[in-house]
Amino acid sequence: MATSASVAPHRERRAATLARREALTAYLFIAPYLLTAGIFTFGVLIYVFYTSFTNLTASFAVAQAKFVGFNNYIRAFQDSQFQIALGNVFWYFVVVTTIQTIGAIGLAVLLNAKLRGLQIYRTLLYAPSVASAVVLSLIFLWLYLRTGFINYVLGTNIAWLQDPRRILDAIYQPLGIKNVPDFLRGPSITWLAIMFLNIFSTIPTFMVMFLAALQDIPGHLYEAAALDGATGLRAFWSITLPLLRPVIALVVILGTIGTFLVFAQIAIMTQGGPLRTTLVPLYLIYQKTLGTGTQAEAGFGAAMAFILAFIIITITIIQRRYIESSTQQS
Amino acid sequence: MAVSVEKRPFTATSTQPGQPWSSYAGAIIRYTLLTLLALLAFSPFILSFLGTFKTNAELSAFPPTLLPKTWHLDNWVRVWDFRLPSVQGPVLPRWLFNSAWLAAANVTLRLFFCSLAAYAFARLRFPGRDLIFTIVIASMAFPAEISLIPGYVFYARINWINTYWPLIVPDLVVPFGIFMLTQFFRSIPRELEEAAHIDGASRFRTYWSIALPLSRPALLTLAIIQFQGSWNDFTKPLLFLQKPNLMTLTVGMNFFKSQYTNDLSAILVGAMFNAIPMLVIFFFFSKYYMEGASYSGLAGQ
Repeated sequence: MATSASVAPHRERRAATLARREALTAYLFIAPYLLTAGIFTFGVLIYVFYTSFTNLTASFAVAQAKFVGFNNYIRAFQDSQFQIALGNVFWYFVVVTTIQTIGAIGLAVLLNAKLRGLQIYRTLLYAPSVASAVVLSLIFLWLYLRTGFINYVLGTNIAWLQDPRRILDAIYQPLGIKNVPDFLRGPSITWLAIMFLNIFSTIPTFMVMFLAALQDIPGHLYEAAALDGATGLRAFWSITLPLLRPVIALVVILGTIGTFLVFAQIAIMTQGGPLRTTLVPLYLIYQKTLGTGTQAEAGFGAAMAFILAFIIITITIIQRRYIESSTQQS
Repeated sequence: MAVSVEKRPFTATSTQPGQPWSSYAGAIIRYTLLTLLALLAFSPFILSFLGTFKTNAELSAFPPTLLPKTWHLDNWVRVWDFRLPSVQGPVLPRWLFNSAWLAAANVTLRLFFCSLAAYAFARLRFPGRDLIFTIVIASMAFPAEISLIPGYVFYARINWINTYWPLIVPDLVVPFGIFMLTQFFRSIPRELEEAAHIDGASRFRTYWSIALPLSRPALLTLAIIQFQGSWNDFTKPLLFLQKPNLMTLTVGMNFFKSQYTNDLSAILVGAMFNAIPMLVIFFFFSKYYMEGASYSGLAGQ
């Protein structure tokens, strides 16, 4: 008894030293993360948030920025360019997210079978996701020429990247409806062309996620359903789709974030034209921050960025809630 | 969740059927559709590769030709030797070199720092561990691009414009890498490391000489994702590298395009220089790409 009583505190002290040393090592290991995230992720975010309340402008490296309160935010909501950009990106989000999700499910279902050589097809089909937005934009600049392959294959004669006609006008004009606001007239033909480019390059990434989920669905579920007479489409509706719901939620959310942040294609292919029908928030923020083709107003750009972030986060929260609650019911 | 993390990437290769497709007709329809779709997916790359051997006149003529009328191999040579007034020497090799070393540096640094942090999260006990890990995960959900462009002001203030620092330092430790490697480290048995630790090896030694070698597949997957991210990056080099001699291939080609809009053959050659290395790496390591994609799936959940 006496010996163990004298050993215990010693052991405890030793254990405490070891624990302290372990914690110290751990902090050293994560120090690079804490430093870089602290300065460049959260620090920059706070700095940008601060600038959104100032009138920081052109020569920002030396200029004295004045505090202007919520002026930049109020201005952003009244700014016609920002409204146009939000309207454009909203169409982009709706069309691209919908088609790429359905397309990715379709491709995954096609690839999910016990057949020889499907691995090779999976690899081949994934390739467009590997190329950069720059490569695809440069290639499609050429394919979309009036004399290019796209017109040749479709038998059309459209200047795909210079056509500001809005597609829903095809409905309004025959009916004689006039003075429709631009947003309700739908995306322009050029915007559609860029949507297609984006769908083309993102479907494969999401296809792989769906394929992994499909392969996790136990085969006996389908066997049981087949006994009840549910095969083919019925089985797809009643078994596959409900089980894919968590992945659908994820793909829709990732797609939403990606579409709201579209930038490179616009910077390379259209610079927001024709007639601002492909102007998007991030490109507008870029122009305002650096002053390319417009007056530099970094503070105003930062305010627009935070409004955009707020919109993205709100939409993805709603999506998550909606899809999760319907998952619980099933 | 941890269980599915260990399992998911490896079951991706299983051949369990989703639906009973016993009939030959079904198989034939499937193969035909897939062949058509694969051709569609590849046609832009094939067409533009063939296009690099055409003259500018042929590239903008209607109807477009599939194969070049005459093969102009000299387009590639011409682009390789291309010079800009503001840059010493040919620009394309320079841009290619800038992209390559930047990607190599980013991959190496991120693998090291991410795995180091991940090892701490997976194996070591320290106050605040769970909280910090939650912050890592949460920061993946925040759209980082939001502060990237307005953050230009910050980098201008610290005089980092036209340096490579903003392309390296802020992403030294990417949250996705920490997340992925933490999951992987947790999936490997502790016993080996504990034995080494009792034998007196330091924590860094057990990390370096036991945990890291066991994680080769996960490290390779992360390396490929990060290489692709760095090599294909457009926004950051566009913001921070404004002098032509500093540019990477992606912004370099965008710069070239804005100066010589009608030189289609040169634009296509430039695009190929960007795409081909990526496609080659992809075909060699396609398995790791698929695993990376399933990991990003998990990260989102």
